[in-house]
Amino acid sequence: MTYTSDPEPVSPKLHWWQTLLAVLILIAFALSTRYYELDAPILRVLGGNRWVDANTLHQQGEFVENNLGTAREADGSYTLRMIAQQYMFVPHCVRIPAGIPVRLRITSADNPHTLTATGLDLTVKAVPGHVTTTVLRVSEPGVFPMPCNEFCGTGHFTMISRMEVVPADQFQNLQPTDRVSCGVQ
Amino acid sequence: MAYSRQAHYIRTAFAAFALPALFSVFFSLSSSSNSQPPPRIPSNVAWTPATIKEASQGDALRGLLIAKRCEHCHGSEAFSASPDIPNLAAMDRLSLWKQMMDFASRKRNSAIMSPIAAPLSHADIADLAAYYSLMPTSADPFDKRAFPRLPIPAAQSARAAQLIVLGDAQRGLPPCQSCHGPVGFKNGAPSLSVQNEDYLFNQLRDFSTGARSNDINMPMRTVAALLTEEDRHALAAYYGSGLGQLPAGTVLAK
Repeated sequence: MTYTSDPEPVSPKLHWWQTLLAVLILIAFALSTRYYELDAPILRVLGGNRWVDANTLHQQGEFVENNLGTAREADGSYTLRMIAQQYMFVPHCVRIPAGIPVRLRITSADNPHTLTATGLDLTVKAVPGHVTTTVLRVSEPGVFPMPCNEFCGTGHFTMISRMEVVPADQFQNLQPTDRVSCGVQ
Repeated sequence: MAYSRQAHYIRTAFAAFALPALFSVFFSLSSSSNSQPPPRIPSNVAWTPATIKEASQGDALRGLLIAKRCEHCHGSEAFSASPDIPNLAAMDRLSLWKQMMDFASRKRNSAIMSPIAAPLSHADIADLAAYYSLMPTSADPFDKRAFPRLPIPAAQSARAAQLIVLGDAQRGLPPCQSCHGPVGFKNGAPSLSVQNEDYLFNQLRDFSTGARSNDINMPMRTVAALLTEEDRHALAAYYGSGLGQLPAGTVLAK
């Protein structure tokens, strides 16, 4: 029995183009998660941050309490910001103009909730740490109850907010505080 | 080998983690343009894991010594003699911590409590919270306390029990017990089962008008504004009468 010397160990060396391919794939992943949103074509134009800290919503960023509700942006578009939490949506009652696209930005302060507007084709998930964005356009004025559509705890069954859609010309004349909410502000 | 294996690993790791991180930082910076009013901050407390840890790791024995200065108003057994001063017996730690911090920062403004809370350190407040959370709620006929205040009208107890257990779906009012216990809890929600009637009513009224505005993300301001005046009276009377200590939804016979 004779021993031969070990064969030359195979080095796991990558070619330069293999490394480049891996890097490109990773960059593609990073960019695709960045831009994956509902209604992607509209949202790319509108932009906005996607990540928030659920514990400090009340202290920093766009979800501080006096920035909730429907606000007119610098470019003239409307944005409705809401927080879902156990066991209510804040603001509890929101107003939006009829016939005008309103961007809805919603996040959660505790655990996942889902905002559903009865009578409208609107169902958005509110997840802590993440801003869910969609664009809604309601053609007719009316009042729409918006219950939570995802079991979120013992108070889930009373978690119902309300959306008032008012004519656009009437909405223009409202005071900024009346656009925000019909509760206490 | 053109370059060492270590260098190869470092470059690959850089490509895998650092480059995407750099890209995401770049894109998040480039897309943040939002004009908004100066923020109105309800409370400097945020329920981060670090804060929860700090607030719940108090020394109850040290808290006992600090609480000597609270006895005059809040009672030696943590039950107040005056119905508009809160009872602190068995108060949830996080809740007491948050209120003291808000008194100190004047997010909850009180001519009496703010100067008392301001000089206390974070550790002092955590110790106080630990002490009061351990105080028993058992009855003591020799203690001068305003709680419980009985009797209350049967109709009032029925209305309050309905709101506490079921809430009101028509108005979008969540049940009180889903956050204040015993069924559910939320960080910072105080226990109400041994609270004084006048104190509770005053707080509900102040929340509904916005005079008190230190609730994070506005749950209490929203709820208190949805309640009617009779609802607020009924809820305060229900808890103030001690019915909140009995099984949920206990109602007085007509």
